[in-house]
Amino acid sequence: MKQTDPEAMQKDCASLGLEGSALSPDLRRSGLEVNWASLGLSGAGVSALTALTGCGGAQTDVSGLDLPDPSTAVHRFGLLTSNAPEGSGASVLPLGASLRVDTAQVALSSTASSASTSSTSTDANALLNWAEQQYPSLFPGVKTNLTTGVYLYRYYPETQNYLGVSVTGTTLGNVYVLGPLSGGVLALVGTLQGFACQVSGGACTLTSANDAARFLSQATLGYTRNDLNTLSQTTISQWLDAQLALPTSTSYFSWLQANGYDSSANENNTTGMDNVVWKKLISSPDVLRQKIVQAFSEIWVVSVLGINASWRQFSIANYLDVLEANVFGNFRTLIEQITMTPAMAYYLTYQGNVKTNTTTGSEPDENYARELMQLFTIGLLNLNNDGSLQLEGGLPKQTYAQSDVSGLARVFTGWSVDTHGLTTPYGPVYQQRPLVQVSSKYETGAKSFLGVTVPAGTAAAQSLKIALDTLFNHANTAPFVSRQLIQKLVTSNPSSGYINRVASVFINNGVSVRGDLKAVIKAVLMDPEARDLTLAQQNISFGKVREPIQRFLSWARAFNATSATDVWAIGDLSSAGSALGQSPMRSPTVFNFYRPGYVPPNSAISSAGLVAPELQIMDETTVAAYVNFMQRAIAGTGVGDLKADYSLLQALASNSTALLAEINVLLACGEIDAMTLANFKTALDTISVTTPSGVMNRIYAALTLVLACPQFVVQK
Amino acid sequence: MSPFIQTPDNNQSRRSFLKTTAALSLARSAAPLALSLAGMGEAAALSAPPGDYKALVCVFLYGGNDYANTLIPYDPSSYNLYQGFRANLAVSRVFLDPTVLNPVTPLPNGQQYALAPEMAALIPRFNAGALSVLLNIGSLVQPITKAQYTGGNVPLPPKLFSHNDQQSYWQSSSPEGASSGWGGRMGDLFQASNASGSAFTCIGLNGNAIYLSGQTAFQYQLTTTGAVALNAVNSPLFGSSSASAALKTMLNTPRTHLLENEYLNVSQRSLSAYSSISQAFGKVALTTTFPLANSLGDQLQAVAKLIAARSSLSVKRQVFFVSLGGFDNHTLLAKVHPGLMQTVGDALSAFYQATVDLGVAKQVTAFTASDFGRTLLSNSDGSDHGWGSMHFMLGGAVKGQSFVGTPPVLGNNGPDDVGQGRLLPQLSVDQLAATLGNWFGVSAQDQLTVLPNLKNYTLKDLGNLSAA
Repeated sequence: MKQTDPEAMQKDCASLGLEGSALSPDLRRSGLEVNWASLGLSGAGVSALTALTGCGGAQTDVSGLDLPDPSTAVHRFGLLTSNAPEGSGASVLPLGASLRVDTAQVALSSTASSASTSSTSTDANALLNWAEQQYPSLFPGVKTNLTTGVYLYRYYPETQNYLGVSVTGTTLGNVYVLGPLSGGVLALVGTLQGFACQVSGGACTLTSANDAARFLSQATLGYTRNDLNTLSQTTISQWLDAQLALPTSTSYFSWLQANGYDSSANENNTTGMDNVVWKKLISSPDVLRQKIVQAFSEIWVVSVLGINASWRQFSIANYLDVLEANVFGNFRTLIEQITMTPAMAYYLTYQGNVKTNTTTGSEPDENYARELMQLFTIGLLNLNNDGSLQLEGGLPKQTYAQSDVSGLARVFTGWSVDTHGLTTPYGPVYQQRPLVQVSSKYETGAKSFLGVTVPAGTAAAQSLKIALDTLFNHANTAPFVSRQLIQKLVTSNPSSGYINRVASVFINNGVSVRGDLKAVIKAVLMDPEARDLTLAQQNISFGKVREPIQRFLSWARAFNATSATDVWAIGDLSSAGSALGQSPMRSPTVFNFYRPGYVPPNSAISSAGLVAPELQIMDETTVAAYVNFMQRAIAGTGVGDLKADYSLLQALASNSTALLAEINVLLACGEIDAMTLANFKTALDTISVTTPSGVMNRIYAALTLVLACPQFVVQK
Repeated sequence: MSPFIQTPDNNQSRRSFLKTTAALSLARSAAPLALSLAGMGEAAALSAPPGDYKALVCVFLYGGNDYANTLIPYDPSSYNLYQGFRANLAVSRVFLDPTVLNPVTPLPNGQQYALAPEMAALIPRFNAGALSVLLNIGSLVQPITKAQYTGGNVPLPPKLFSHNDQQSYWQSSSPEGASSGWGGRMGDLFQASNASGSAFTCIGLNGNAIYLSGQTAFQYQLTTTGAVALNAVNSPLFGSSSASAALKTMLNTPRTHLLENEYLNVSQRSLSAYSSISQAFGKVALTTTFPLANSLGDQLQAVAKLIAARSSLSVKRQVFFVSLGGFDNHTLLAKVHPGLMQTVGDALSAFYQATVDLGVAKQVTAFTASDFGRTLLSNSDGSDHGWGSMHFMLGGAVKGQSFVGTPPVLGNNGPDDVGQGRLLPQLSVDQLAATLGNWFGVSAQDQLTVLPNLKNYTLKDLGNLSAA
């Protein structure tokens, strides 16, 4: 490395009026960094760019210039892609927010990759080409490869940005940016492995079992050894396309009918709903759809507890069928289909909603109008496309006022369940029919909301169309929905760049379609921030807490748990003290079991300014009850006749290390560390496996330990 | 400086309690709670002076309680207005006679209120001077007039009418995402005087609530039947005590990852508190009868048991949080709301009786709270989100049989509402909290820290709680 005398450099720069605050303390650490700063890239130095051309920096002559040592890099994971792909119409951002990282681990090790230098160079070249194509305003033109030190890099004099890849040594495969884009410091922005999916357009493979397991944790409700093997033989893109093309399995509604839940004795009970929901979540082969349906069921919440009508379990069944039919479709269609379900109409009380009564002063029910905006589409505060708050005079701006709620409420009048041609007592079929209009209850007057006025006399269907179009096209909807989907699948605290990239796909799927959920789902799962295993592992806040339902499902799916009688009588697991404290379609309110913005108070998470949604339902009671419940469930107790198939584990049980290794991959994506595994092994070895029951006891104990392990409870 | 007196109490259960606690403390040397629990060894040999004990009990009605059918205008002219604004929701006046409130100081102009008929159990409490009614109270940043509201130049709580945010604002003075609540912040001030430290200062019976979390005081959650044991630690895991020990070791080994470590923190609190809570809980047999099939009553009964166990838990100040959902009655209000009123009335009345039976009525103050009030006007079948509401304070220290505040003018965009009978609050949650805090022992200076908006009020104590 070429050494530069920092004293001398500062002196030179001082003569140009850049003394003191113009150079940050960080930049003074090494002469090389001052050299880079002298290219006009320190914080305050950017504005002084022109003055700096003579200050030790040569902007055009970069051949042979030493890039700073990789060990000095700061993490700016997501920085490279913090700007939306150009042409998406999304706003261009300043520097991407850096994620918190464990500074003790900033220097990456080479263990993640054993690829040869030559293949790394090929991959690096592909990445550099891709970046030029994707971000021409940051990396304009087609530049030639340069090398220095460990780097293969390109320089863009128009923007003064450098983009490089380490192609050797302990930093092999790391991707770096230096220039105005990174605030003048060397920034580690990702790894080749993390970018591979984007660079290759999804033609990337997940060769390690842990990496494949991590992808399937994000994309499914649980996976088997077979699922891992299947994924390893295909690209992510192929896997996603195959999943997106899978048909739905037997509908919820028809399963209830076929199993006799439409007999009059079941008019008011909910047992069948629990059963069919568990059956689907545990055994339906369309694993991606089930994951997305489960996610949407916690964003567009309905709960059987809040449906005051006969045949409410059929109401929920139909709602889930509508979700299944639409989660791979368009968001605009989805919100309309949902709005027309009896389940939502009962749950948010616009079933039979009546127009303004000028005699009594009664006004339409505002419930759906409010929650449709607050929870399902736009949220409360104006957002930028990257999910950050739009500020006006330093303050956030509310998306709507009470008058907008009252105005929109007038749209949701006159809608009612459809009982035409049915005779009382009604069977469950009315819970499956879309709502119909009752003109005597419909508000025909003008309806004003969000700057739109539906003229007086507009028909109900047209009013609905205008309202839903307005919400669908609202600037908040893309980031609002995208952020929540990312939180459900990948990480509680996505970078602004990640949100921006997914929201941009929501706005435009590449062929000018807005709201294409297939494209949005792909964008969530193929994003560099989702795929970069190495950086995710080093970021001490990346990932999400697996919600209790998910932990249970991960186990059930990993070991092909099934109900031999096909009854699936697992039941309501809502009890906080004796079950999971959470059960599907049984949220206590429309605000879901937990809020996407929940901050665990008085915690390091709170101090770091982060959210942890799923922790809202984790407390001193539920942590214990969860382990107790799983301890019973894995041994086939307390979950009806649900039984796991442990044949794979039985073959390994005599070797505790092998047993744990398999469970570690199938549940915890291989995240459990060697020391913890060693402690577990020592303990498990005390359980004799000379008898069949001993074998099962060792398996059960191993499963309990892993299911209680923080590296499983938190998905990275 | 220690307020504790040495006692010769050395009985066997106390010793085993000590032993357990010490073992747990050793195992968890890195966590903050360990420090407080380490103090339990000392505390176990000490006990608080009898009598020095106070508890605050927040009874939160989730969903936004309908004020107009909770506290119902009764004098003929007010009733007629009420009936006119919500004909299809109004409770028939003939049902109100038994629950008319007769305060020591009558309201001006002959105004009268009745409780919802289903709250009849609270009438004896009112008449005995243990129940006070707060008129038109809600979340505010500062006092506000209708003209100021219309003018839009006075700061308002953010995200008005939004459930989650107003729940949070009530409990913490911030919308969703708050990092502490005012119950917890009061807990911060007193956890040092509790021998068990922060462990049992702030206790919830129905899941996490920001109200209970302080800057240093943690909220501790248990169920109505006590703490939940982690079986896999407490007894051999599938026959293996080594596996149980490995599990315990894992749960006590800190992790760098923030989410992982928070899971461990909660697990450690669960493990640490279990034995002391279960022992304390198990020793208590209440004589008071609580209503059956009443989830709020179940929670308050558990609170009463914890209060009864205050000596064995060595606590002098406690903040409790109980809650009941189902108040978001946009529809079927006339059908659903009366049952909720019955639940609340019966549960509160029984709880008060329990404090009398335990001899701590003057040391326990309960109060109701909710997301917001609702509209006075009907949406034909229910009411919509509002703002100001009517609430209750209950306890032996309450200067009861009283109303605090001014009866709001019933109207639709009248002087006291912002449309549809959504009340513009005239009393603030901060004033209620400061009143409770004064009684609890929070100094005037500390009040301003606990309640950041309190500085905006001239009247900082509503005056309806007797000084300690």
